[in-house]
Amino acid sequence: MVGTALAQTQSVARTLDDAPRSLDPQLTTDIPSQRVLDDLFEGLATLSIDGQAVPGAASSWQQSADGLTWVFHLRPEARWSNGEPLTAGDFVYSWRREVDPKTGSGYAQALSPIVNALDIALGHKSPETLGVAASDAHTLTVHLNAPTPYLLELLVQNYLYPVYRPAIERYGDDWIRPDHLVSNGAFALQEDLIGARITLRPNPYYWDASHVQLKSVVYFNMPDRAQAVLRFLAGDVQFTDSFAASQRPWLKSVLGDQVVNAPWLGIYMLAFNFKVPPFRDNPALRRALILAIDRASLTRYLKYDMYVPADTLMPPLVGYQPQHPAWAALDTPAREALARRLYAQAGYSPEHPLRVDISTSVQGADERHYFEAVAAMWHSVLGAEVSVDESEYKVMSQNRELHRLPLFLDSWIGDFADPVNFLQLFYADSSLNYGGYRNGRFDALLDRAAQEPDNTARYRLLEQAEALLNEDGVYVPLYYYSTRHLVKPYIKGWQSNLMDRNLSRYMYVLDHQGR
Amino acid sequence: MLRYILRRVLESIPTLLLIVTIAFALLHLAPGGPFSADKAMLPEIQHGIEARYHLDEPLWRQYVRYMSDLAHGDLGPSFQYRNISVNQIIANGFPVDLTVGLCAIALALLIGVPIGLNAAWRHHSWWDRVPMALAVAGISLPVFVIAPLLVLVFAVHLHWLPAGDWVRGSISHLLLPVLALALPYVAYVARIVRGSTLEVLGTAYIRTARAKGLPAQRILLHHALRPSLAAVVSFLGPTTAGVITISIVVETVFGLPGIGRFFVTGALNRDYTLVLGITILYGALIILFNLLADLCYAWIDPRVRLE
Repeated sequence: MVGTALAQTQSVARTLDDAPRSLDPQLTTDIPSQRVLDDLFEGLATLSIDGQAVPGAASSWQQSADGLTWVFHLRPEARWSNGEPLTAGDFVYSWRREVDPKTGSGYAQALSPIVNALDIALGHKSPETLGVAASDAHTLTVHLNAPTPYLLELLVQNYLYPVYRPAIERYGDDWIRPDHLVSNGAFALQEDLIGARITLRPNPYYWDASHVQLKSVVYFNMPDRAQAVLRFLAGDVQFTDSFAASQRPWLKSVLGDQVVNAPWLGIYMLAFNFKVPPFRDNPALRRALILAIDRASLTRYLKYDMYVPADTLMPPLVGYQPQHPAWAALDTPAREALARRLYAQAGYSPEHPLRVDISTSVQGADERHYFEAVAAMWHSVLGAEVSVDESEYKVMSQNRELHRLPLFLDSWIGDFADPVNFLQLFYADSSLNYGGYRNGRFDALLDRAAQEPDNTARYRLLEQAEALLNEDGVYVPLYYYSTRHLVKPYIKGWQSNLMDRNLSRYMYVLDHQGR
Repeated sequence: MLRYILRRVLESIPTLLLIVTIAFALLHLAPGGPFSADKAMLPEIQHGIEARYHLDEPLWRQYVRYMSDLAHGDLGPSFQYRNISVNQIIANGFPVDLTVGLCAIALALLIGVPIGLNAAWRHHSWWDRVPMALAVAGISLPVFVIAPLLVLVFAVHLHWLPAGDWVRGSISHLLLPVLALALPYVAYVARIVRGSTLEVLGTAYIRTARAKGLPAQRILLHHALRPSLAAVVSFLGPTTAGVITISIVVETVFGLPGIGRFFVTGALNRDYTLVLGITILYGALIILFNLLADLCYAWIDPRVRLE
């Protein structure tokens, strides 16, 4: 029974799939850390309940006509959790810290739109040369290398959150411990049982504290998803972070609407290695493999309709036209016939079949079955001899980076809702381009898009780039991710969103009986 | 006695050094490094981070550096959990493992010993057959089956006990993990006690005691118990260390903040220092509990001489 009034106790227990790597915003890029940091800290922009970038520590901003200079106006009432005022200088310090090689931030390249960021990260320039300046305590000016329409999306990334300089200078690495951590978000750190549980309390100095309902937020680390389900059933947690696809039918039957799946900005795919045979010089072979898969059956029977079959790189995004390839419109017999023709054209036949491994990391039986089914489809449609080669994640990723694997697992969860964040995976010089794909036309399109101030025109360029990837058969799209939460019906103040980021700041608990 | 303990402690140092060295070598042999991340970094940045942790130095120098830090009691920073030291992780988590492990062993003894004694005394009766059949079941049921079952019954359906989490000093949070961990050992202890008691009951001095007409209770508790416990003690040495260290399943199922999980994720993430730190701790524990077992053994069985 769920009522309409607020419950006496306003607290929510949430689960994380893994222990946060650190509570230092500049040192982490993992999702569990991001969840907690989203509650503890706030960037110039923050996320609305539906995942849009909206004013956060800054109440407003303007950009120059050429899009190269942005001026942010900080809220004068914004404070740290110890009551000290939050200033533009705090952001200057924090962003310099992010790109300073001495900090050891792994993802400093994300700041590359900001003047000198990359050079500083590579050690060629000093952090003081970063293109950010505090003209006064509440005004921050950001200078960009090129118009960056997705700058606001970047500002809600945890590595651009401000950190409290006096605590870092005084306590060094220990500044993230509960006694020392000073934050500027809706919550402050109450307790951190490393690897097990993190408890947050409201930050009384938060500028919007009067609208924060929760008196406590607890994050439990539950790498075992079955355990998270049990704890949810027992009523210990009210908001879980994921569950196994194979449990979905059962969960649906037991919990009904408490099982929530919604589109999540991410794709699961296989990628071809462009540095070694057999895929390097054989576009027909690559396309044959892409076409020979019945994605709808795979997601229906092996993922229990939790995910959405993918035929192109970009998940649906407002204003952007995903480049569905022509074969996506074919019916199964026609698609398979075309795949067989391409396979023959590529020089393979039943007497001389393709022999290759799908290299993946060990992720459990569900994933193994999925790839075994892909291999079986390639066998039955084309006659290819494909096996699944699972190795430990670190081993797989190293081999992938060294371009040793001809066909391997690649997946991507978007950092922000912009196609460029996905397309960069295939940019020749990108460190994420594991397949070593190199196409001057593709890179030129991305370069042109990076200089294009008009977002509509920019999207058209990126669409062309995506179409080019599909023409070249660079990757095997499989499915788009979905968010997968179990949420008690009395937890309100949250909405599924493409970024799958749900700030506790908006959540509240309704009066209810039972667990 | 003291000289014996001292000698054993001194002897354990080279053993530990060997363990550390082998673990160090194995970890560095494994492909991939701690900073080969999901989101591949720019090579320059990755090198910079590796240099911060001296991972760019030749292996022998890293080894010397690690050993010299170790000699000062410094287990180094964790690579996986940035800003947190291995010492901090162990100091936070180990008391939890120790509490759960020792309680489980105590419970196993408290239940297992009487069952075993009773089964031996009433050999071939239902008092023997039923508990021993249950014991076989208990040994065969792995913890990863028992633990979720306990949660399902006592937390999800009956709501008697919490399904997990750790609250210092809270017995209700301790009960299920201890029970899950103890159950298989109850079975082991019961079977061992039964076996050794049966052996003792067949000896000449027990026959003498019976012939003298001593009451059963007195024979069991005063004459048979101590020698039959010898077998349990030699079992307990390595087992106690094992229960404390290999409670990873229990830790995971009940969400306990112990260090077992760190051991596994540390190995998967190539967190060299974290894995080494826990390896040293586990090695030291096994040595310690074996020593304690030997000391108890000598106390129980007067024929054993420690010198």
